[in-house]
Amino acid sequence: MTGDQPATPTAEAAPKALPATPLWSLRIRERIPPWLVWLLGAVPVAVLLGLWFAVTAGPEAEKRVISPTILPSPTEVVRSFPQLWFDRALMRNLFVSFGRVVEGFAVAVALVFPLGLFMGSFTKIRAMFTPLSVFGAYLPIPTLVPLTLSLFGTGEVQKVVFLALAFGIYLLPLIVAAVDGVDDIYLKTAYTLGATRAQAVRKVLLPVAWPQIYEALRLGFGVGWSYILLAEMVDIGRGLGGIIIISQRRGPREHIYLVLVVIVALAFLTDKAWQLAGRRVFRWREKRR
Amino acid sequence: MAEQKVGPTILGRVVLVLFILAAIAGAGYFFRDTLFPAGEDGKRQVDLDAFKEQSGKVEAPDTKGITTVNEYTYLPAEKLAPVKGVSNYKWSATDKVVQFPINVWIGWLPIVAANHGFAPNTESIFYKDYGFKVNLKLIDDPVVARDAFAAGESHILWGTLDMIALFAPGLMEDSRTAPRVFQQIDWSNGGDGIVVRGAIHSVRDLKGKTVVYAQNSPSQYFINNLLLAAGIQPAEVTHKYTATAFEAAAAFVADKRIDACVSWAPDIYNIPDKVAGTRILTTTSEANKLIADVWAARADFAKDHPEIIKGLAAGIFKGMDQLAEPGFKARAFQWMADGYGMPVDEVQAMANDAHSTNFAENKEFFLNANNATNFERTWKNITFVYRELGLIGTPARFDEVMDFTIIKLLDQEGTFKHQVDTYRTSFAPTSYKKLSAEAPIVTQTIRINFYPNSSNLYEPQHDELGGVVPNTLYDPTVEATLEKVARLAGQYERASIAVIGHTDSSMKGRGVPLEEVKKLSLDRANAVKQALVKKYKFDPNKFTIEGKAWDEPADPDDPMNQAMNRRVEIAVYPPEAM
Repeated sequence: MTGDQPATPTAEAAPKALPATPLWSLRIRERIPPWLVWLLGAVPVAVLLGLWFAVTAGPEAEKRVISPTILPSPTEVVRSFPQLWFDRALMRNLFVSFGRVVEGFAVAVALVFPLGLFMGSFTKIRAMFTPLSVFGAYLPIPTLVPLTLSLFGTGEVQKVVFLALAFGIYLLPLIVAAVDGVDDIYLKTAYTLGATRAQAVRKVLLPVAWPQIYEALRLGFGVGWSYILLAEMVDIGRGLGGIIIISQRRGPREHIYLVLVVIVALAFLTDKAWQLAGRRVFRWREKRR
Repeated sequence: MAEQKVGPTILGRVVLVLFILAAIAGAGYFFRDTLFPAGEDGKRQVDLDAFKEQSGKVEAPDTKGITTVNEYTYLPAEKLAPVKGVSNYKWSATDKVVQFPINVWIGWLPIVAANHGFAPNTESIFYKDYGFKVNLKLIDDPVVARDAFAAGESHILWGTLDMIALFAPGLMEDSRTAPRVFQQIDWSNGGDGIVVRGAIHSVRDLKGKTVVYAQNSPSQYFINNLLLAAGIQPAEVTHKYTATAFEAAAAFVADKRIDACVSWAPDIYNIPDKVAGTRILTTTSEANKLIADVWAARADFAKDHPEIIKGLAAGIFKGMDQLAEPGFKARAFQWMADGYGMPVDEVQAMANDAHSTNFAENKEFFLNANNATNFERTWKNITFVYRELGLIGTPARFDEVMDFTIIKLLDQEGTFKHQVDTYRTSFAPTSYKKLSAEAPIVTQTIRINFYPNSSNLYEPQHDELGGVVPNTLYDPTVEATLEKVARLAGQYERASIAVIGHTDSSMKGRGVPLEEVKKLSLDRANAVKQALVKKYKFDPNKFTIEGKAWDEPADPDDPMNQAMNRRVEIAVYPPEAM
């Protein structure tokens, strides 16, 4: 991290804050040091890993709590990494899937962002589109695979459209809520100062809602990965989803879990990137708390 | 604050960061093949002759007479991996309910009939005659069915033999979940097929075209088996994969750039009706001994409950008996419709997709080592195709999966002596001229090194003086070559087959009479036919022979390639052409 900590002013303002509590006591909205954040976050991960080791321990398949035909041990999973990397082109497939997620996300944002902004701003437009948005949220999206197939073929377009659909359905209500959540007081002030309708949207609603919208985009970006399997079900070839689908049928099962780990790692990194970028863009917001 | 710091400006920092990132990206791109290898998909070259090495070990040359059925002499227990550890499936000794998942497939009608429906009940044959209940569950997704089997939630795994071949290596990592196949349920009999667009009349025309099908399914085996049989490298065809056969059909209809799809009934029959310019290339109504449906039991369950395994197999055979009665059959259709949640007429419409294999046919499948389409050959053919495609590393051996104990036991007890094998096509003699009026489905080119001017397949080697060297073969791979033909001929049980002999043209115009050369090529074709009939007990009328002498070079663009020209072609003709 860089030297200029955005949190410095707050830290200066908080010397009167209560002393840190011992580990076992909980206080509402307590400030804790960063190392503790990391430590506490690592505990459940470690427990989970330990559990995984425990239930798959033992050289003999028949003696394990969970058979390797269901869950291979962490060591076995790690050992199959070279094969996944070299024989099955992990990185290239990762890039392909990541590209699809980004494209689907971009398409969804391009459509849903203006729509959400209008729906959040204008009641009539919201009345018009809310039912669709609600239906969408309840829709079992997998059933739409054959439909996108017949409309967009079996190639790249279908995958991107399918992901865009999943992204859009998730993002729309969040963007609407973000714009809707802007306090009336800002609008009233703007009107008092003689703002036009366009100005109210551009200069008040949008800027005030931005951090919320950004937060929605950040959370929403992860949604794509939960649909990557479905998106890559058609014309299975390259992509992490394809690797999982194929490994389910003909093994090795280690690769299923390995790809999951890779996706988790990637999710962690992208989320950190979103956070970092967010902190820079909305630096003023950091100080608000 | 920031202004007081020494160091690059903000712009400078941005430039620096961008420069570093660009350097990393550039290095990554430059070394992409070492750092991020492209894997081995797609560019595989299949060694089409690898078949010879693999299949050469099927058995020693046949020395037995024509009528003997050559039964396996080993005991299954000698070959099957012993079950270790504590059994690990859910089971209640008081309820005794076998969890038996099935998919939507008419081949399960006998077990639905025997069980009087899907749910466990006391009317079921399994309960009345064998004292246990069966719960038939609809689990259409093979991966889910496999996972339930591995987890011990179900005791049985449904599947085509090619599916079991893909699952077996993984499931065998734990000796308790190793799949044991005890019984064949049916042959796909029109249920699977290939639909093509435009001017594709033979498998050979698929070269350079695009095919869509469900990966890791019988469809994949069907098409790639045909491509390999026709001598086409799988890489010479663009393969597009879907997760299910239904999606493959939908993709074919939606995307005009796709030239062929492999799918299931009813889609394969509906598409040609609805989409102009499409037609059926071939289905399992011709390749009627290609795709075998079976069930497999968990090894630990089979070990603990051999009497239940026997009861399952026997009950299914009894179900086949009962279905002969039309009134009962109608009830069975209704049970099946209820279980699948489908209208009964749709279930009845599936009736011809599969042919139930009765006890006699199971005996042929499991016990007859000479049968061209027995378990061993079907399994070896599947693992050959899948291994050459790079889909499986080390396949399981057939005798690590096949367990014929139950069939042998029922044979000794004679319970199902009345069930006879009627699933054999009888052929009327025909002429090559009549047969070849239509395009063959698939043409396979084989090469047998005949001794000069001889038509003896088993000609021994000769020393310099022309004397015979005993116990040698002039063409040591002849058995493997015959095996290759026998499998294709066996899979296409209902099709007629032309065996066409060709010679090279090196003696053309050197005073050798054409009639003699024609006769030689005909004799050689006949030798192939006779060897197949003798070894694999085919109907002689299934094969029509033709001698073409040097009239048709293998490659018209390279007519003097004599090594290519000395060949025998095996052409598979659809039954209508007879």
